[in-house]
Amino acid sequence: MTLISSRPNLRKHLLTSAVCAAALMAPLTATKALADSVTVGQTFLASGLDPAEGSTGWALVTHGIAEQLFRVSHDGEVVPNLASSAEQQDDGSWMVTLADNRFFSDGTPVTADLVAASLNRTGEVNASARATAGRLTFEAVDAATLRVTSEQPTPILPSILAEWAFPVYLETDGDPLFTGPFAVETIEAGSSIEMVPNAFYEGAEQRPDVTIRRIADGQSLALAFASGEIDLAFNLPIETLSIFDGNDDQSVTTFPVAYQYMMWMNTQSPALSNVLVRRAIDLAINRDDLVAAARAGVPATGAFAAAYPFAAEGPLPYDPAAAAALLDDAGWAMGADGVREKDGERLELVLWAYPQRPDLVTFQPVVRAALADLGIAVTTQVTESPSDVAASGEFDLFLWAQHTAPAGDPGLFLSLFFETGSSRNYAGWSSDEYDATIAELRTAIDPEDRIALAQQAQELIAEGAPVSFLVTPEWHVGLSSDLAGYEPWGSDYYVIRPDFGISQ
Amino acid sequence: MATRFVGMTLVSWLAAVAVSFLLIRLVPGDPVDVFINHVNIRATDELIAAYREQWGLDRSLFVQFGLWLRGFFTLDWGTSFATGGAVTGELIARLGWSAAIGVGGIAVALLIGSALGFFAAAKPGGLADIGSRAFAVAGQALPAFAVGVVALWVLAAEFRWIQPFAGGPVERLFLPIGLVAFFSIGSVSRLVRAGFIETAGAPYLRTALAKGLPYRLALWRHGRQRAAIGLLAGIAPDLAWIVGGTAVAEIVFGVPGLSERVIEAVAHRDYPILQAYVALVALWIIIGLQLCTLFRRMLDPRLEATGQA
Repeated sequence: MTLISSRPNLRKHLLTSAVCAAALMAPLTATKALADSVTVGQTFLASGLDPAEGSTGWALVTHGIAEQLFRVSHDGEVVPNLASSAEQQDDGSWMVTLADNRFFSDGTPVTADLVAASLNRTGEVNASARATAGRLTFEAVDAATLRVTSEQPTPILPSILAEWAFPVYLETDGDPLFTGPFAVETIEAGSSIEMVPNAFYEGAEQRPDVTIRRIADGQSLALAFASGEIDLAFNLPIETLSIFDGNDDQSVTTFPVAYQYMMWMNTQSPALSNVLVRRAIDLAINRDDLVAAARAGVPATGAFAAAYPFAAEGPLPYDPAAAAALLDDAGWAMGADGVREKDGERLELVLWAYPQRPDLVTFQPVVRAALADLGIAVTTQVTESPSDVAASGEFDLFLWAQHTAPAGDPGLFLSLFFETGSSRNYAGWSSDEYDATIAELRTAIDPEDRIALAQQAQELIAEGAPVSFLVTPEWHVGLSSDLAGYEPWGSDYYVIRPDFGISQ
Repeated sequence: MATRFVGMTLVSWLAAVAVSFLLIRLVPGDPVDVFINHVNIRATDELIAAYREQWGLDRSLFVQFGLWLRGFFTLDWGTSFATGGAVTGELIARLGWSAAIGVGGIAVALLIGSALGFFAAAKPGGLADIGSRAFAVAGQALPAFAVGVVALWVLAAEFRWIQPFAGGPVERLFLPIGLVAFFSIGSVSRLVRAGFIETAGAPYLRTALAKGLPYRLALWRHGRQRAAIGLLAGIAPDLAWIVGGTAVAEIVFGVPGLSERVIEAVAHRDYPILQAYVALVALWIIIGLQLCTLFRRMLDPRLEATGQA
């Protein structure tokens, strides 16, 4: 039997997490709400309260209404939430022990049979809950213990249970009930949700009432914040930030998110089939220029945002002279018109981006200029259907945005996008050494081992250069004086947390 | 006449929804792919197949259209790909907001535009005439989105006279209705003015004046029918603007109407939402056009006799 909680490294992580959780919860008794009620403005809103429908589970968690058994912490680690521990058994199944004294918003204790009922229903109804390890089956062993079996064996069940598809809920004759710090009072689909503190969540008396209002347009969101109608404006467009300069009552805080910006390099494209050319392109891009163009973000260090424990050490090199030397070595000589040639062929590439992520379109001229200096002629294209173009392989370079660790584990991204023959290996890259590393990562249990393997995989990606990791973007959150101490983190996965609206 | 009205409406609507059904599916981007990318899950073949089956995309287009059509008439408009919620309930809840903005906007435009047009015709070159022309030029030249943002900035952010996001329904509808009306007042007033100006030069008005009627009263009594006929003929294109203007107003002012939801649905290739929206908009425009024709024929029976619309 593999006892996860007894392993030193995991135990250390769990202990750290428990201390963090305690630190988060403990001050609640000595703190107070900053206001009786606050209003949050954001561009997305749960369309209903059934977490098994579509992506509603994600929305309910980010609103502070629902919780999973595990979650991703501020430091990018998977930590217990409604669960207290998880142990893998010799037969591959897992035993999950529930945390003490957790309740649904009507006071019903969170028990193993209720958790099993809700998560089994989700697994049956929502295909997304079957994405990572097939169908999970939950069985109550006793009031506080669950046995979880998966169709496909997995060493990372806590990470899977931290995915957005697995909030715990209590089915009732009416709307489901949840365990989060806030309980739904009323919901107007597409418009607003009125919430009150969950009376059965520790520290309820210190929390304010919260209204979440959906404002789909970023400019309007900024103006709603400027008008004082909302206390928190989540993800303000960069061009609106100057409105709040010198405003004592309102501030804007900026935080890095896990949606990495990157550029695929099609290894099946004739010019890019040579790894020297791909490495040259990676070396020729000044990531600081991209950050300046987007007016937000930090240079990427690898596949993951720097906050994750498995992020690569940075910075990534920028060396145009070395890049030029690599192209010379690859046989691409500078032509009279400033474009390199080889065997009568000019070094011309097509760079794609998509408007759904405007920053990527902003990057196109910056990348084109950098590669022009290197002697590579780049034409730019924009598509509304990035997945179609990427999957077709009809591209040379493709600017891309991707959340690379949505459930706090590096395995999904590294295997899905880079393993030989994987469905989203858009670069068409293949490396036996890399595949072996991912196979090892797939079965590794110890978190330290997983971190080491993930970093090793990133080194192999850097060597093979099927992709150039560019920028970790940042988002901007407007805060009224009532919420001045609020620290956003976790991209858009945990906007409203237990410490929301409470003075520290 | 009633049978022909219903028949024409139904045939036109069916043609519109059939073409749109095809066009929506021709837009590049597979909904399953878009959804999986959006929610960051592993795109296995089994998962993709499961979603295609669940969303009915594994069936032929003909079968999909037949099922959708049956569902539309039985008020089962399918399930949103993005949210998993029932489309019928979601769109009907939003329909009230959109109808309030659209109908409210056109009603205000008709009220103000008609008055402005009448007074512009009563005194060509006067203040009302200048105002009417200014509205018409502004309606053509200004971008609706920018006007909405400026109104928001001035009235809500700078002076804080109104709470368009957090206020009650009336407060939330004030600016959206104003925006839709603003861009229709000009065209309404010019159409009304043209009708009354035609009457102003007619011999029967001179006869009425000779009988001692005050000029404005005579113009109103003898010109209103002609102005109404002209307005009904000319206002038809504005029915499409009402839809577009309502969409802009909903997005700028954060109103949870139909169009505001559709923007998101386009990004997600959410076919059930898009299809139901197109069906409702087509119904609105076709019924609007048919009613305009009907009213014109009621006001001017000669049109019925000659078969003109």
